[in-house]
Amino acid sequence: MQDLLYFSQQLINGLTIGSAYALIAIGYTMVYGIIGMINFAHGEIYMIGAYTALIAITGLTALGLAWLPLILIVALLCAMIVSSSMGWAVERVAYRPVRGRHRLIPLISAIGMSIFLQNYVHLAQGSRNVGFPALIEGGFNFSADGAFEMSLSYMQITIFVTTLICMTALSLFISRSRTGRACRAVSQDLGMASLLGIDTNRIISATFIIGAALAAVAGLLLGMYYGSVDPLFGFIAGLKAFTAAVLGGIGSIPGAMLGGLILGVSESMTSGYLSGEYKDVVSFGLLILILLFKPTGLLGKPEVEKI
Amino acid sequence: MAANNYRHALFCAIVTLIISFPILGFNLEAKGINITLTGATTSTIIAVILAAVAVFVFQAFRDSFMVMLGKLPNLNPLAGKEPMEQSKRVKLESWVLTGIVVFALFWPFLVSRGSVDLATLVLIYIMLALGLNVVVGLAGLLDLGYVAFYAVGAYTFALLSQYIGISFWMALPIGALLAGLTGMILGFPVLRLRGDYLAIVTLGFGEIIRILLNNWTTLTGGPNGIGGIPEPTLFGMEFGRRIKEEGNTSFHETFGIAYSGEHKVIFLYLIALVLAVITALIIRRFMRMPVGRAWEALREDEIAARSLGLSRTAVKLSAFTIGAFFAGFAGTVFASKQGFISPESFVFLESAIILAIVVLGGMGSQLGVILAAIAVTILPELAREFSEYRMLIFGAAMVLMMVWRPQGLLPMRRIHITLNKQG
Amino acid sequence: MTTSLKKLVTAVSASVALMGAGHAAAEIQIGIAGPMTGPVAQYGDMQFSGARMAIEQINAAGGVMGEQLVAVEYDDVCDPKQAVTVANRLVNDGVQYVIGHLCSSSTQPASDIYEDEGILMVTPASTSPEITERGYELVFRTIGLDSMQGPVAGNYIASQNPERVAIVHDKQQYGEGIATAVRDTLKDKGIEIAMFEGITAGDKDFSSLVTKLKQADVDYVYYGGYHPELGLILRQARQADLDAKFMGPEGVGNKDINTIAGEAAEGLFVTLPPSFDTKAENQELVKAFEAKGEDPSGPFVLTSYAAVQLVADGIEAANSKDPFDVAEALRSGSFETPIGTVQYDKAGDMKSFEFVVYEWHSDGSKTPVN
Repeated sequence: MQDLLYFSQQLINGLTIGSAYALIAIGYTMVYGIIGMINFAHGEIYMIGAYTALIAITGLTALGLAWLPLILIVALLCAMIVSSSMGWAVERVAYRPVRGRHRLIPLISAIGMSIFLQNYVHLAQGSRNVGFPALIEGGFNFSADGAFEMSLSYMQITIFVTTLICMTALSLFISRSRTGRACRAVSQDLGMASLLGIDTNRIISATFIIGAALAAVAGLLLGMYYGSVDPLFGFIAGLKAFTAAVLGGIGSIPGAMLGGLILGVSESMTSGYLSGEYKDVVSFGLLILILLFKPTGLLGKPEVEKI
Repeated sequence: MAANNYRHALFCAIVTLIISFPILGFNLEAKGINITLTGATTSTIIAVILAAVAVFVFQAFRDSFMVMLGKLPNLNPLAGKEPMEQSKRVKLESWVLTGIVVFALFWPFLVSRGSVDLATLVLIYIMLALGLNVVVGLAGLLDLGYVAFYAVGAYTFALLSQYIGISFWMALPIGALLAGLTGMILGFPVLRLRGDYLAIVTLGFGEIIRILLNNWTTLTGGPNGIGGIPEPTLFGMEFGRRIKEEGNTSFHETFGIAYSGEHKVIFLYLIALVLAVITALIIRRFMRMPVGRAWEALREDEIAARSLGLSRTAVKLSAFTIGAFFAGFAGTVFASKQGFISPESFVFLESAIILAIVVLGGMGSQLGVILAAIAVTILPELAREFSEYRMLIFGAAMVLMMVWRPQGLLPMRRIHITLNKQG
Repeated sequence: MTTSLKKLVTAVSASVALMGAGHAAAEIQIGIAGPMTGPVAQYGDMQFSGARMAIEQINAAGGVMGEQLVAVEYDDVCDPKQAVTVANRLVNDGVQYVIGHLCSSSTQPASDIYEDEGILMVTPASTSPEITERGYELVFRTIGLDSMQGPVAGNYIASQNPERVAIVHDKQQYGEGIATAVRDTLKDKGIEIAMFEGITAGDKDFSSLVTKLKQADVDYVYYGGYHPELGLILRQARQADLDAKFMGPEGVGNKDINTIAGEAAEGLFVTLPPSFDTKAENQELVKAFEAKGEDPSGPFVLTSYAAVQLVADGIEAANSKDPFDVAEALRSGSFETPIGTVQYDKAGDMKSFEFVVYEWHSDGSKTPVN
């Protein structure tokens, strides 16, 4: 019983992180699905979302606002607006002019953008870890006679619920709305879609905006869950989310979700049963193994080599 | 049309405000135990507003700007000229390279110690970039984890010198061979992946190596790294103030001159120079051998190349192994120059910088890669006074170069032979 | 903006000083190397503010051997790799005395270079014993060793009669070193160590670690490392209802831990150098700091002040600017500084230094225990 509780606790920890990874992974997977490039600056967009949310929360608290849900919602909106604008601007400035060139060119451009944004925030906000106020505290405790208590905090529940809402909204948007249909068309065949009268530039911009908005949600949630932000924390999270996207099959939205959860759980299980030092080795090792045996990821479309 | 332009311009200006104002306009500061928000200085706010206005003006009159830009005389003086004749070009390139090497031989005796130190670093980057150039520029394999092989070379020397006490000259071939071997072992399973998947796997591999170095504390010292790595010796003469190894003599005592740290720095520089020249020559040789042609063939059209009977795995593996080999070479020199290495020297950013050098140099072109390595390493050093903005400028420059001159400084031109017209 | 301007000014003045060095060297350059940016820049602030104050006051009192001291500042981000780069730049800039570095893992590789190039180094903060164990002539410190601090922490934990203790560290020279010292002390006292594990500095998610600590059912957790990680561990432990007391070395004792951990920082135990700023004889100095709007209570402010003063006194005592002579003078003399009377042993360690256990509070204040 004790061991089962311990296992479930690690599972919960993993799923919490995993669902946040999934939110970030959406941005990678949608962009890759449509224009086939790795948006290296996406992790930085997530970091900027976290910073904006923290600035908004601090500002609102200083103004004397005390009603928690309002603070959170306003902070979330601010973060989403700033991150989306950033996503849009990054695409316009760094990716659109190099679209369609040799595939190394957008990649280098993206890496350059990532370095730029990291240092932009570093210069503006300093390099120190800034504490994120603990707004949602407490939780449920489950215990079986033994000493070990499993806990499910309200913060973790918030992360699950928010992720669920975002994912549902995204699926509805992609499957029902006009823009969503256009997105799918563009990811199938960009040239054909533009021939059929779809404004592909607009759709690509929309992809970046949606991805950035979801990353901002993740930024607020993880910032609060972890407890601090710093200008470098987007890079590692971005790398993990990217791994999640590839695991699930890059280009596939359910794949990103699945990949995120698998990655989160494998990380927490590694830390829980082996050692926290090797969790990243396990996630990257998993990535390499999956790519070797199923190069298009778990839910990706098999790629046919045209001869 | 005009109204549309203004609307777009207004939108862009608003976006500029949104992305800059919250981050630049408010500072999160720790005051005692609380995080407080302070407004930025007026000058920052004015700068943000000016930026938005600038964006508005540029977007609103974009069309006329573009026309004006088009009318400007072309800035590139060579643009209108016919490309130089092939044989002439090759000759010129070798003359330029020889000239650079001769100049580089005498140069350290004229300048300050700091410059020589920096030049050694430039040479290390040249070796790295030449090696990666084989993988990315010639064979067209996207490798984002190149720094892993650099780390293998550096750590091989550091560990061997720490535990067995071998010298630089012994470690140089061992480090390079081990790095090459690692490249081969990694390359074997992953080289069947194509394009971006290969990039991702190599990225993951690079990270794994770094994390292992960081965590295997009993062997590698973890984040504390390994120090006290010996400098190269000249026929058993050491350059330090005191002799570290039994049986060695010290350089300044042998020649009866006063001790100066400069001897060591210049000696290291010369070693790096010789090794960089060797690297360049070997790779130049390879490029003209059948295997070099095979790399390019595979890069240009994999299917056609395979149809002609080229073994995909063997060709890719050779490029990958040779690239890794020279990274190991550079790693050994780096370890010796620093006297200390830690996993922090082998982060992803380092891979990105080397890749940026290769792309900036014009993939495949040796002279271009060398010039790019010099530019990328020295320019940030010149901007030391603005050291805070160094990486910001570096990132922006990477983006701008890709947008304006994606073909690189000196794009590679294929060596080709024109057949004599049959009379 | 002001900091970059300041840096520009120092850089310009440094280059002017270099140019001037040719004919009449009327200035003595003092390098100050420590983290200005990065996760532990807070400690760098303490170091720089203490050292700058000392240089200012020494200059106001007429300088050293009639020459003015000039500060040349370097940022090592508390990263060993950058520390080596900084050390090489210091050599290239012709600096002969260094106050720094801060983090033990930076001090260790940098001191190799300083020793080889004949530069005198006084670290105001690095506590790892290995730094002075290598028989170097030019390495000194104005702080105690982990081999003194570890037993203080270990004895305190042992005196609370815990059943099971977990020890976590960040694998860096400082963190792992002090954690090992604490473990050895506890083992000698026969206390069960339930866990001895490393984490990765810069990591943010410690939920799995906290779960593990809960599973191990420990009453005390000792953390060897710096505050950004411990702050997160404290906070995530509170979130998960972990019921254990935490303790850490001076690397966590700083008000920033409160901004990260919030309420969870209440009741944390920290070993720190004694509060020199409360000593009666230092009150004038404390006022000088307060007049500049700086806080002298940080653990490394006055140790840095003392480090500069020792270099100055050493030069006076040796009546020579050669670092080797100065080192000799420091070893043989006895000096009055704000951190007490300093006498050095052969290795470059102070003959006596004590650490005190404090209890940290959620409002950022601290009270001495027992």
